[in-house]
Amino acid sequence: MTRADIVAVILAVALLPVLYLHFWSGGGFAEQVRIQEGNQPPHYYSLARDQRIRVHGPLGDSVLEILHGRVRFVSSPCRNKICVHSGWLSRAGESTACLPNRVSVQIIGQDPRFDAINS
Amino acid sequence: MQAKTLLAPARRRGTASGLAVIALALALAGCGNRADSDYQRQFFAFGTLVDITIYGASTKLAQQASDQAERQFERMHRSWHAWHPSDLTRTNRLLATGKPFTAPASVLPLITLGKTLSDQSGGLFDPAIGRLLGLWGFESDQPPEGPPPDPKRIAALVARHPSMDDIHVDGSTVRCSNPAVQLDFGAYAKGYGVDQVIAGLRKLGIRNAIVNAGGDLRAIGRHGDRPWRIGIMRPRGPGVIASVKISGDQSVFTSGDYERYYMYKGKRYHHILDPRTGYPAWGTRSVTVIDRDGARADAAATALFVAGPKGWVATARRMGIHYVMLIDKHGIVHMNPAMAKRIHFETPTRPKVELSPPL
Repeated sequence: MTRADIVAVILAVALLPVLYLHFWSGGGFAEQVRIQEGNQPPHYYSLARDQRIRVHGPLGDSVLEILHGRVRFVSSPCRNKICVHSGWLSRAGESTACLPNRVSVQIIGQDPRFDAINS
Repeated sequence: MQAKTLLAPARRRGTASGLAVIALALALAGCGNRADSDYQRQFFAFGTLVDITIYGASTKLAQQASDQAERQFERMHRSWHAWHPSDLTRTNRLLATGKPFTAPASVLPLITLGKTLSDQSGGLFDPAIGRLLGLWGFESDQPPEGPPPDPKRIAALVARHPSMDDIHVDGSTVRCSNPAVQLDFGAYAKGYGVDQVIAGLRKLGIRNAIVNAGGDLRAIGRHGDRPWRIGIMRPRGPGVIASVKISGDQSVFTSGDYERYYMYKGKRYHHILDPRTGYPAWGTRSVTVIDRDGARADAAATALFVAGPKGWVATARRMGIHYVMLIDKHGIVHMNPAMAKRIHFETPTRPKVELSPPL
């Protein structure tokens, strides 16, 4: 092995975690959930870590759940429950919101299938 | 000598591996840069969730542009609110007097545009039916709920034929000859607002952007070396039914019976009222229109929804609309051939499609 080979192997090994996070990881930079209350700065959560998130809006608490790489509204203090009925989001670019409680959630990814959703 | 011949290929391999690693690192760095140039921001404004996507501008400029967009939407929302005190509610009080008055500068362009669009739609798009919308409970902060209004009150309002033709405009002076007229800009304010915001972004030098106001959007430019990719939600169901590619400058607007509605005794009462009957227009679930102009796409989506599966072709021709997808109450997709060429279904099974003659 030459010195160049050793450097190449070290670099390649060092790059492995970066490559993994970049292309494969359910969490990390590639797949996150952005949750926003009103026009406050958004909070970002990894889709890889299952958890429940409570967001305080003008009507009360909206509860969101991240489970197995998906996210949904579990409950929200609105009347129509459109947010809860919209179910699980799993693809980059997908989003839903509870307009009455001013809570929005969107999946952030490297190359979303759609740049915008018309509804 | 032998050692040299053994070493030489190894050195070449080493150099090649080194170059490969450098190339890979550069490629990854390239990916990072591309992601950075996609700026996205969401905010609540205009009674909905607004999504701004900007491509290929500096973060500083993109922030400045989306700040400006937020201010514009907030200003328009305040000016055009149909039931909270606004320039529009003041205008409605003055219209009801029958006397001439100077229309507020924020309202006048929507009156003149509303008259043109209503005329082109044969009256199926009618921003003068604010009283009907109020009677049905669709002008309220609370979600509407049943029962439906007294049929006699609906019939009485329809019999008074409120229409944009009753509003007479001379410069900035406006007079209304029918006290039943009450303006509600709900069916095209979003389109007009998105147009204004796009114009503002362009003035700042933004060339590639999507302004998406609660699902209705206008896209300009492209996303780098590819067109913008727009998903169209399935009416009433989760997920995307179809997608369409957009580049240059086009708006995609959908009107649906699932946006504002209530169920009463198993029947759906939604906010898209037929001005001829005073009742929600039956027969259609959603209409998607693609047009350059957001306001026209917005108004046309409403007019074609009211026209329904049998009447939409004639109304689209009158309004000069070239791309339409209508999903009827049975889930059948009606499209003109030009739209069918652009629509890509994203569902596991292709829905039943009925093609219309060309528009």
